[in-house]
Amino acid sequence: MLSRRKLLLELPLASVVAATAFRADAAGKSLTVGIAFPFTGADAEDAEKMKDGALLAIEEANAKGGVGGYRIKVLLLDNGTATAGQYDPAQAATNARKMVSDRSVVAAIGPQMSGSGKAMSPILSEGDLATITPSSTNPDITDPKFAAEFRPKGKAVYFRTVTTDAFQGPNMANYYARTLKAKSVYVLDDSGAYGVGMSNAFEQQARNDGVKVLGHDQLNPKEADYTTVLTKVKALNPEALYYGGVAEAGVKLVKQSYDILPKAIKGGGDGMYSSDVLKGAGFPAVAGWYATIAAPYVMDNPATGPWIKRFAAKFGKEPTGYSITAYDGALVILDAIRRVAASGKPVSRDAVREAIQTAHLKTLQGAVSFDQNGDIENRVVSVFKAIQDKKYPLDDPIHQFKYMGVAPQTS
Amino acid sequence: MPILEMNDAGVLLQQVINGLSLGAMYSLLALGFTLVYGILELINFAHFNVFMVSSFVGMWALELFGLSGQGQVLTGLPLAGVLFFAFLVTMVAAGALGVFIERVSLRPLREVRGTAAMITTIGVSFILFNIILLGAGASAKNFPNPLPNLRWNVFGAVLELREVLIWGIAIVLMTALQLFVSRTRLGKAMRATAQDAEAARMMGVDVDGVIVAAFFLGSALAGAAGLIFGLYYNFTSFLIGYTAGLRAFTAAVLGGIGSVTGAMVGGVLIGLIESLGGQLIAVRWTDVIIFSILIIVLVFFPSGLFGRATPSRS
Repeated sequence: MLSRRKLLLELPLASVVAATAFRADAAGKSLTVGIAFPFTGADAEDAEKMKDGALLAIEEANAKGGVGGYRIKVLLLDNGTATAGQYDPAQAATNARKMVSDRSVVAAIGPQMSGSGKAMSPILSEGDLATITPSSTNPDITDPKFAAEFRPKGKAVYFRTVTTDAFQGPNMANYYARTLKAKSVYVLDDSGAYGVGMSNAFEQQARNDGVKVLGHDQLNPKEADYTTVLTKVKALNPEALYYGGVAEAGVKLVKQSYDILPKAIKGGGDGMYSSDVLKGAGFPAVAGWYATIAAPYVMDNPATGPWIKRFAAKFGKEPTGYSITAYDGALVILDAIRRVAASGKPVSRDAVREAIQTAHLKTLQGAVSFDQNGDIENRVVSVFKAIQDKKYPLDDPIHQFKYMGVAPQTS
Repeated sequence: MPILEMNDAGVLLQQVINGLSLGAMYSLLALGFTLVYGILELINFAHFNVFMVSSFVGMWALELFGLSGQGQVLTGLPLAGVLFFAFLVTMVAAGALGVFIERVSLRPLREVRGTAAMITTIGVSFILFNIILLGAGASAKNFPNPLPNLRWNVFGAVLELREVLIWGIAIVLMTALQLFVSRTRLGKAMRATAQDAEAARMMGVDVDGVIVAAFFLGSALAGAAGLIFGLYYNFTSFLIGYTAGLRAFTAAVLGGIGSVTGAMVGGVLIGLIESLGGQLIAVRWTDVIIFSILIIVLVFFPSGLFGRATPSRS
């Protein structure tokens, strides 16, 4: 089918690989890291920036002569399709099979979306291939309760450099209740795995915090018109609106809620901390929206400033928060390969998986280590608010979202 | 669940206003399906994406004036001038695109029996979709909107300038079309061709010319709908053709495909069903409600509300 064909994405990559090719080619040894993000559709820009974060780590390692004697190559795959208009779990499953069947692939980075992650994880488990996701936060994928479904071979293969919606949704509910003092809220989601999971977790904790939940409705991301549902919400007069979902429905929600619910407190999760949302909706519509990321606020780390400059110089654009978690994920993989090679064992998928499992690495976001399920042990959710900074481009979340603090943990 | 707590009447009126704005767009789009079907008995699926392409053309036309986002507001004569220019450019470009599609991909298949032409329109639709995807990128675009943010309170509902404008433009265009079809020579030729193309040709009607006119008019109206879509939602993307096109096609069938009045009424009905159904039942059931009503109507009026029984072509 037309829409399923791979885009021309591999062209620029080919030149990247060629440019770094000669140094390690002398030794002739190389390994491949798979990268799978939705480069087609509503989240394309954020996907590109995550890919760039991971590529930066890999290219910097190759420039220093490779890792453990290996040059690192990249297998780039598109999890999005034009038919879906955004990430497409069926395509993600196909890509997982491609990575598993390529014997040179020892680890992977991705996916962006939990819906893709649910489709990929069982296939990766069967192939003993570990992946590190810089952004997918649905807790079910790594939850031991669903191990039979998502990791049939038992060992963790789905690692994350972000925490999960088991914290992101509820902690934001605490933020609504305790910091913003919202008394009532209307919840919307975009019918995707991520959006439904996070908004349900939010809703439950909001009730526990004594916030009145006036309703919970689903948006169809392919639909253009949300005036009907927003008019319905307006009649209930909630103090706040919470949206669980990604950019495709998010952009339209921001636009239309700006007209219909100008006064409500509005917020979402990491799906809204997004270049695509900023660019598609623009100011003033997006002004005042709250968003979270399931990772610590990295600007406190003195290494981050120079890193952002390196990123901007190389790719000609500003990174997002999840470019950093993607970079961190790539560092973890490179470190794992280095340790396996140093131990003298063959660099197999299983050995790399074991090394990722036992990682304890200082990265931009701080020390990264994983629990037995693959979840990151540091469980911080940071809250941001969209406030325009005209000195920076519109699609630059790091500067257009102002850090508000850590969302309170439920204790 | 119907949850109406306060000022029920205001909420319902608001949903009627929303529904009429949607309906105006669907009607304009439905007319394109109906004009082409009436004459060629062809369902033109390329129409979905002619609409989508024209919303991009409209965006580019507005950007020619240095407009971007919703920051700059125009009033009075400059506003009227900019809108007139944007509508003119968009409608002419969309019309030309429709004629081009007919000339290049459909005319060579005119004498081929069966579904070849219809499948071709699906292919053309995919081509337009992918051209915009590759050319303009996948992300949602922030559509420039120079309209001042005027709003009035009407019995507890909010009526905005852009809604009034959309209704006004839709009414003007549809009235003009109705007059064109019923009063002009070419309009008469169109009606004659719709009734019986062979006989019309024998009476000296230039059937090819009539077909070109139908494609031009239908696509130009889709162009207007595309620009209206952008001005109403302040966004566009390569994806918008499918949902809006399907609803509009449903509107054309509901009204009676081939009937100009039917397309107009069908569009408004679908718009109202969408907004009131969402309010009174649940938004996630919108498609189920729309298509259930369509099926019920077709059971009792197989040729639609305003359709006439199709004459046999043999």
